[in-house]
Amino acid sequence: MTALLETRGVWQRFGGLVANSDVSISVGRGEIVGLIGPNGAGKSTLFNLIAGVLPPTQGSIWFDGEDVTHMPAAERCQRGVGRTFQVVKSFETMTVVDNVIVGARVRNTVMREARRKAHEVLEFTGLAGRADVLASDLVPAEKRRLEVARAPATEPKLLLLDEVLTGLTPTEAQTGVALVRKVRDAGITVLMVEHVMEIVMPLVDRAIVLDLGKVLVEGKPADVVRDPKVISAYLGDRHAVGA
Amino acid sequence: MDKNFAARRRRDLIIAAVLAGLAALAPLFIKDVYVQNILILTLMYAALSQSWNILSGYCGQISLGHALYFGIGAYTTELLFTKFGVLPWFGMLGGGVIAALIAMGLGYPFFRLRGHYFVIATIVIAEIGLLLFQNWEWAGAAMGITIPIRGDSWLKFQFLRTKLPYFYFALALCCLAWFVTWWLEDSKWGFWWRAVKDNPEAAESLGVVVFNSKMGAAAVSAFLVAIGGAFYAQFLAYIDPESVMGFQFSLLMALPAVLGGIGTLWGPVLGAAILIPMTELTRSYIGGSGRGVDLIVYGALIVAISLALPRGLVSLFSRAKPKGATR
Repeated sequence: MTALLETRGVWQRFGGLVANSDVSISVGRGEIVGLIGPNGAGKSTLFNLIAGVLPPTQGSIWFDGEDVTHMPAAERCQRGVGRTFQVVKSFETMTVVDNVIVGARVRNTVMREARRKAHEVLEFTGLAGRADVLASDLVPAEKRRLEVARAPATEPKLLLLDEVLTGLTPTEAQTGVALVRKVRDAGITVLMVEHVMEIVMPLVDRAIVLDLGKVLVEGKPADVVRDPKVISAYLGDRHAVGA
Repeated sequence: MDKNFAARRRRDLIIAAVLAGLAALAPLFIKDVYVQNILILTLMYAALSQSWNILSGYCGQISLGHALYFGIGAYTTELLFTKFGVLPWFGMLGGGVIAALIAMGLGYPFFRLRGHYFVIATIVIAEIGLLLFQNWEWAGAAMGITIPIRGDSWLKFQFLRTKLPYFYFALALCCLAWFVTWWLEDSKWGFWWRAVKDNPEAAESLGVVVFNSKMGAAAVSAFLVAIGGAFYAQFLAYIDPESVMGFQFSLLMALPAVLGGIGTLWGPVLGAAILIPMTELTRSYIGGSGRGVDLIVYGALIVAISLALPRGLVSLFSRAKPKGATR
């Protein structure tokens, strides 16, 4: 079976800055893949290229056997790519359930169905009690959860999570980890960008480490964390010696 | 939960039907032509503001150039009637369609602009429209068009002896604009528009085609406003560029919605019900002095309401739960 998502020799340049150079990665169906790397490694850029925020300077992106390199974000969502934002982007003047309905409507053209689906998703993500509250009245952790509830409501094949676990308290992070597992068990492939390795490593099936815009290492989390190249990228060369 | 939502929608519909019924009976008790006139204008501005609210309130694209569509409705109707003998009813629809097409044509370049820049563009475009009509000889230029009197008839939508038909048309238009809003509110478009207003980037990631949403809102909004323009032209029986396309119309469409509650179902009606009679009454009772006292009072009231209730008058009836409340 072919990979669900594939980037083939993707480059992204912003003026003189090369954010991604010749990145080729693939994500198989049913996997949880972690995209990690130090600050400025090009994770967010790659993430945005996959989500369709902008087209790559060079190279191509394939989703579900189709070239989506120049497909706008909204159309990719209809094909089955869901995403969250690192900085939460709730629809502030709408209620929690209405926020989710916007996503649920992608697969449910009858509004009553979309509304039912939205309530289901809120139940699933533990936000059901807040359904009728305005998004602007949520506390930050709830907003993050709403962000994570909205994307699966589009019933994606691939869910892109952008640092959803960063900045949470340990308890909140654990709830988040459980939620990501639940999403995968529901049959959704997950590609998650994370900055903090400790949280993601136990969760992912495979980790891809980016550094300076390139793929540095790729493999099982246990192997990746021991790789000298990874340690040096995160901590500097001195620490890699003898590792 | 779901039942609550359905019940609320039904309740809105019932309230609207009751209000419309009461309004329809009003002329039985109100015989004074001056008061009837105020009622007609109030209903017309309620309808216009409701239509403006679709693009600017729900979809968040603030337009201060809707006078253009109002004028296009008026001019299309009267040019077709006076030059080609086309009945105003067809002119009205034609004006609506032309206005919707122009709104989309203008939207194509201007929906790429954001925030204040979009607002400025709408003002400028409406002013250009005004100047074009002021200099367009065939359309009467600055002299305007006097609508020939052919006697009272529904066919020609022309009445000299009574204002009642205008009253009922304005009421029908107001109901139509309200109903269209009510209907769209719980549709794909309603959700798309509100998502686009709040956060276009997030909306796009959830499958919302932002550009198309704006175009749809602009078309519906312009169509309904142009119908209002056609009505106003028939009501006045005389039009010139300034009296159907002046900047004040853009303001008078925006103000009721803003005052009543922008982006809400009831805001425009509520705002118009207070604002328009206030405008007319201050003008006729304290406006004669020539010192502009009416405008001062009028302006002060608007400032007071917007300071006290920044979310609009509807927030007085708000069913939104207080912060932190759970179900």
